[in-house]
Amino acid sequence: MTAVGRGTARRPISANVAQVGAALVVAFGVIAAGAGYWQLVRSADLSSSPDDPAVIAAARDTPRGLIEDRHGTVLASNKKDADGEPYRVYKDKSMSPVIGYASRYYGTAGLERAYNAQLSGIARSDPLAEALRKFQATPYDPQNLTLSISLPLQKAALAGLGSDRGAVVMLDPRTGQVLALASNPTFDASAIADPATAQEAWTAVNADPAQPLLPRATLGTYVPGSVLKIVTAMGGLDSGALTAATKFPQQPAAEKNGLVVSGFTIKDGHHPFTDGTVLDLPDATEVSCNIYYALAGLKEGGGALDSMARRLGFYAPLPFDLPTATSQLTNGGGPLPGGFLDDVELANAAYGQGETLVTPLQMALVASTVANGGLLMKPQLVTAISGRSGTTTIASQSMGQVLSAADDAVVKQAMMQAVEGKYGRLFTTGAAVPGIPTAGKSGTAQLGGTGEPHSWFIGFAPVDHPQIAIAVLVEHGGRGGSRASPLAGQLMKLFFDTEATS
Amino acid sequence: MDPTLISLWILRILFLVLIYLFLFAVARVLIRDLRSASRERSVELGRLIVVASPSAEPAVGSVFSLDAVTTIGRDVNNAIVVDDQFASAAHCELTFRGRAWFIEDLASTNGTLWNGQPVTGTIPLGYGDEIQLGGTRFRLERGRSR
Amino acid sequence: MTVRPAALPPIPFTGIRPRLRRRESVLIALVAIALVAGDISLSATHEIAAGGPPTLGIADPGGLAIYLAVLLGVHLAQVLAGRRTDQVLLPAVGMLGGIGLLLMERLPQDLVTQTIGGRTFGLAEIQLAWLVLALVIIGTLAIVVRSDSWLRLYKYTWAVAGIGLLILTVLFGVEVNGVRLSLRLGPITGQPSELLKVILVVFLAGYLSENRSLLIEQDTRIGPLRLPPLPYLAPMLAMWAVALLVVIVQQDLGAALLFFLVFLLLVYIATGRRSTLVIGLLLFVVGGLLLYATIAHVRTRVDIWLDPFSDPAGAGYQVIQALHAFARGGLVGTGLGAGLPVVSGRLPIPEIQTDFPFAALGEELGLAGILAILGLYLVVIERGLRIAAAAADDFRALLAAGLSLVVGVQAFIIAAGNLKLIPLTGITLPFISYGGSSLLANALVVGLLLAISDRGVESPPPPRPARRSPRRLFGRPGRGSSGGAAAGRAP
Repeated sequence: MTAVGRGTARRPISANVAQVGAALVVAFGVIAAGAGYWQLVRSADLSSSPDDPAVIAAARDTPRGLIEDRHGTVLASNKKDADGEPYRVYKDKSMSPVIGYASRYYGTAGLERAYNAQLSGIARSDPLAEALRKFQATPYDPQNLTLSISLPLQKAALAGLGSDRGAVVMLDPRTGQVLALASNPTFDASAIADPATAQEAWTAVNADPAQPLLPRATLGTYVPGSVLKIVTAMGGLDSGALTAATKFPQQPAAEKNGLVVSGFTIKDGHHPFTDGTVLDLPDATEVSCNIYYALAGLKEGGGALDSMARRLGFYAPLPFDLPTATSQLTNGGGPLPGGFLDDVELANAAYGQGETLVTPLQMALVASTVANGGLLMKPQLVTAISGRSGTTTIASQSMGQVLSAADDAVVKQAMMQAVEGKYGRLFTTGAAVPGIPTAGKSGTAQLGGTGEPHSWFIGFAPVDHPQIAIAVLVEHGGRGGSRASPLAGQLMKLFFDTEATS
Repeated sequence: MDPTLISLWILRILFLVLIYLFLFAVARVLIRDLRSASRERSVELGRLIVVASPSAEPAVGSVFSLDAVTTIGRDVNNAIVVDDQFASAAHCELTFRGRAWFIEDLASTNGTLWNGQPVTGTIPLGYGDEIQLGGTRFRLERGRSR
Repeated sequence: MTVRPAALPPIPFTGIRPRLRRRESVLIALVAIALVAGDISLSATHEIAAGGPPTLGIADPGGLAIYLAVLLGVHLAQVLAGRRTDQVLLPAVGMLGGIGLLLMERLPQDLVTQTIGGRTFGLAEIQLAWLVLALVIIGTLAIVVRSDSWLRLYKYTWAVAGIGLLILTVLFGVEVNGVRLSLRLGPITGQPSELLKVILVVFLAGYLSENRSLLIEQDTRIGPLRLPPLPYLAPMLAMWAVALLVVIVQQDLGAALLFFLVFLLLVYIATGRRSTLVIGLLLFVVGGLLLYATIAHVRTRVDIWLDPFSDPAGAGYQVIQALHAFARGGLVGTGLGAGLPVVSGRLPIPEIQTDFPFAALGEELGLAGILAILGLYLVVIERGLRIAAAAADDFRALLAAGLSLVVGVQAFIIAAGNLKLIPLTGITLPFISYGGSSLLANALVVGLLLAISDRGVESPPPPRPARRSPRRLFGRPGRGSSGGAAAGRAP
């Protein structure tokens, strides 16, 4: 009832009703906005996520797309079980860390997971085809993947690791295509995908303390040891703190008595041949002199080192078809530029100890960048996606010119000496490919306690116009020259014998 | 491009379009309602003007807009509250029925006066007539458009 | 002494005087056309899924025909009865019910079955039966209810009946997952909490309209503080306590939230005091924190709301699947019958017919459909609140407002829960969700709203002067007599 005249205390009900009505309209507006968020903004990523029931349902009924290596060998295909439902079969277990598995019960992993939408046919490479999908009778078009991997190289890499845990990464420095991405131990993906053996295999693989499901090449992080010196060299050359001729007069004495940095003594005792000689950059690299590199790191400063590392891909997941762990030079949080705690840590990081942690893929990219004249190419696993609607080729992409060609030439020279030089050969036994000038760096990553150090090698060949770059890590393999270097040489030789095109 | 599927798609969209058509038709009704409601409100049924009052509640000269049913009395729940000691809690009721105004005394203690005459039962009122409760006197006036 | 404001005289029964309800007939025709189109689209999708070519047939023509026939029948009954009730409510509710029916037809029929006398009825058939009953109730109330004294005068009786029903359920109800939420009578199970919300509104409308002035004007003084009066605070605290109890004992978060919100809003509408909202918010926060700290299942619900991915296979599964369903819908949806991919023979969202019809419609009708459904609820609310604003007295106004709020706030709570805007609760989406008690209670609401909306006999033309206007003293131009010279005269 309207009530005029009884004072302002009694507001008519209709006024209050109007206010509540307006509040309800606003509330429903919020709901509309919420619906808009989930139905428009998040529509694409949720509906093609591998956990989406539509994607899962499509996966169950449609045979997934094939996965082939660069030579056309089929690595992943389908078989039908007793009910006529398709399941996955894999050719070789050396490919398991890369391809992963697609299991009816245990979901997807690896490339099967990353490209689930394409392999099961939900997403298309062609946006126009995607829009027209609604008008076609069979909406699902599973796509085939062509990988840059070479199965023979991959198998050889796995065989080379033998019973040691570790990883091998081989890639073409000119394009970034990955020819081998092996991890040991590996697992039998077919056993997980086959519904008859799935449960057994799954429990076994998860219970294995060696963690075969962990793809060490991309997700394993390790202390790099001397292989990181390449990054230090690149950083110093780029910032101008170092040149090919840089020498440190205190270096010979420090080799004998240790280098005192902020009260902490750094000792380096593994190259008795050079006592007395003041080394320049290529020579110090050839004999892997920790003292030289500690001084070099201090000279260039944490900022230059950090900046070069970031340009190479440190401190962020690498842009890659598979998930990658981040590499680091330090845990950070320190006051020095680059996040180092103090000079001691900087010095230790400069020769690959301290809190440095890298993935084998990251170190392969370092080698690849040096090989490619300082131009870092984005690592690539999938080179083409093809289906009913056609083929899409994935072009190689560059991640930037990390280092000038002139500076890069210095590093190349240093790395060539490290493999081919009189003393270098002793550190990188077996890495040189007979008849082909090879460059590289070995690393012995001290683990500060129990256990043998990790054995590392990174390198590329031939030195002029390199065609292949490699990184090898053997967990607890001892010195760089004992396991990683000979394996790298063996694999590079295999590459040149079978695959090299030019 | 499969023609059966295109027609299927058209059917799906048609369903949504028809629901929205319904909503638009409703919206038109709502807007028309709003307009006529605001027009209705501008026509007042009638008003009561206070001619004499022994207390400040209601003040002399104040004007009350009348609804179809208006109760007058001392209790706060009435539409028009009269603070008069001779007025009962629920004293009388003014209603608009059909085309004319009517007043009904609600069995009050001291009765209601219409133009000085006591009111028995329900009697019709005309514009300009005065009603009295206790010492308070009102005059019925025609409504105004606002 | 409280004097009851005079109750409005009942609207006289003037016999059957048919009156054309043109707007309503146009709207109902549109509803029928839309629902038929939806049904054709559904059947075409089914045929394509089965592998054959689609024909212009209708899925379950019998069901839709019955529904539309009853809807038309209620419309005609109102036409015959000739009361000037609202013409938009019935079509809007008809559209909502129809969309719900199409959804039930689209879902697998064996989700819910009922066997009576040897014959088994599936999901859509049961829903259709309840819908028909609901429409009949709406029609009956709209035509027959002419006075509100049976509601207004016996409010305490209604309150006691409501509490009795609640106690009966707690003591003798059917136990599901450890809580007793339903009562069983023979083959039929119902949820009394649905009926309780209507009783609550009836009681509140009566209580608040009687004590309105008291509640607005008086204050309790505690020292220098001016607080609302005791008859105002006491029911608020009592209501809050009841809501907490419902959550604790019955684990029915949705009902508790609904009761509390409707109560708050209705008190605000009656009194206009801002302190209502402030105190209400305070009580809500305190109560919420208390419940979160002490009651496990409340804690689970809130944690899952904040991060459903913390338990994607367990408690968070429902919400995550609902969000995926919305995402798959996109702008225009996948089409009726084409969404909801079946994995291992099961629908992706559990309890889809009662708790998540909103998500199912989101997937199949897309954002366009969702906005349309929200629009339909807003239409129902708007009509209800307009009826409240135009109501002839306080009781009817509060009753109409409360009834609209019951539908609107309930729709809000479940829609927001589906979209992870607030924690998920187990209440139903009015007129769309499967469930007899929900449909019947909401039918009561709409039927009463229609009865209240009766504008009575046509308003008379503006009053003509009873006598000629007196001579103008000051020669002022203008119409009719105005204040001033006229003196009272005998008619």
